[in-house]
Amino acid sequence: MVAYGLWVINKAGGLVYQKNFPVPTIPDRGLAPLTSNEYLVLAGTLHGIHAITSRLSPTGSGSGAQVIEGETFKMTIHLTSTGTKFVLLTSLNDGTAEIMLQRVYEAYADTVMKNPFHTLEMPIRSELFDVKINALFSNQL
Amino acid sequence: MSFGSSIRHCECIFYHDWQRTKKPRAGSEEATLPGVTKTSNVAPEKLSLNTSTGVVVAAAEAATSNQQAANDSNSLPFDEEAKLVYGVVLSLRNMVKKLSGRDESFVNYRTSTYKLHLFETISGYKFIMFTDPAATADALKYVLRQIYTGPFMEFVVRNPLITMDSRTSGIDNEKFRTATDKMIRGLSIFA
Repeated sequence: MVAYGLWVINKAGGLVYQKNFPVPTIPDRGLAPLTSNEYLVLAGTLHGIHAITSRLSPTGSGSGAQVIEGETFKMTIHLTSTGTKFVLLTSLNDGTAEIMLQRVYEAYADTVMKNPFHTLEMPIRSELFDVKINALFSNQL
Repeated sequence: MSFGSSIRHCECIFYHDWQRTKKPRAGSEEATLPGVTKTSNVAPEKLSLNTSTGVVVAAAEAATSNQQAANDSNSLPFDEEAKLVYGVVLSLRNMVKKLSGRDESFVNYRTSTYKLHLFETISGYKFIMFTDPAATADALKYVLRQIYTGPFMEFVVRNPLITMDSRTSGIDNEKFRTATDKMIRGLSIFA
């Protein structure tokens, strides 16, 4: 039940927030360390993939990808009504990803949206948001 | 509700569907490899399409099948859908590999209306299956593997008449089609 990372992607597909969480146990290697540029590219790719997956549905229209499973981790995507995507990368056995993403969304609404100095769709530079996220994911240490 | 296909060299070489509620539109004749599918390009009265002359026969019926397809303007033509599927699979694989840092591929992804499962062989064949979102992923991975080691090995790889790795024709083997069909229909998870 380990969270590896959190991304917030704006409605244009640009990465506005990215955080990697420290992995507690030794056998759990977690994810590879990447440069911030690489995260930007990956977020854009994910945005495109999300759009295509909603188009591919055999039953007409549907949502985009919500959970993507790899062999050692999985990615849970929460799409808000405004087009913002919250992406949580966790270990495979994690069942609480959706709930955590709801809480992240709440923290986002409280500290970022209500911040009068925050420009929409721009990278998030809010200390309060960081504090809240750390508090949410601190129990895995 | 599910359908499956396998892709090599960015071309879809086999397609079969079971309970698809929205049929794909007929693909343009030049783009779909002959022998890939019997379901998209055929008007209902003429199901016994002779696939060795696949391209010619289908073109004559294109007028009638396009009538039905015109109503379904939201669904993609089959060949475009195949390209999109391949694109999604390739991009997702690269993304998962980059993120994990190890040589691993993605296994499946779920949306609110379907789930896509991928099984890749060491030789590069990708077996893709669409199912309903509730399907348990482990079972499907095993099923795709069984399709590979069962009907595929039996009727395609060991068939001296089929050119593997061909860029000009799909896998149009009746035995393979019926064997896969029988195998999938016999599964407990098939509704």
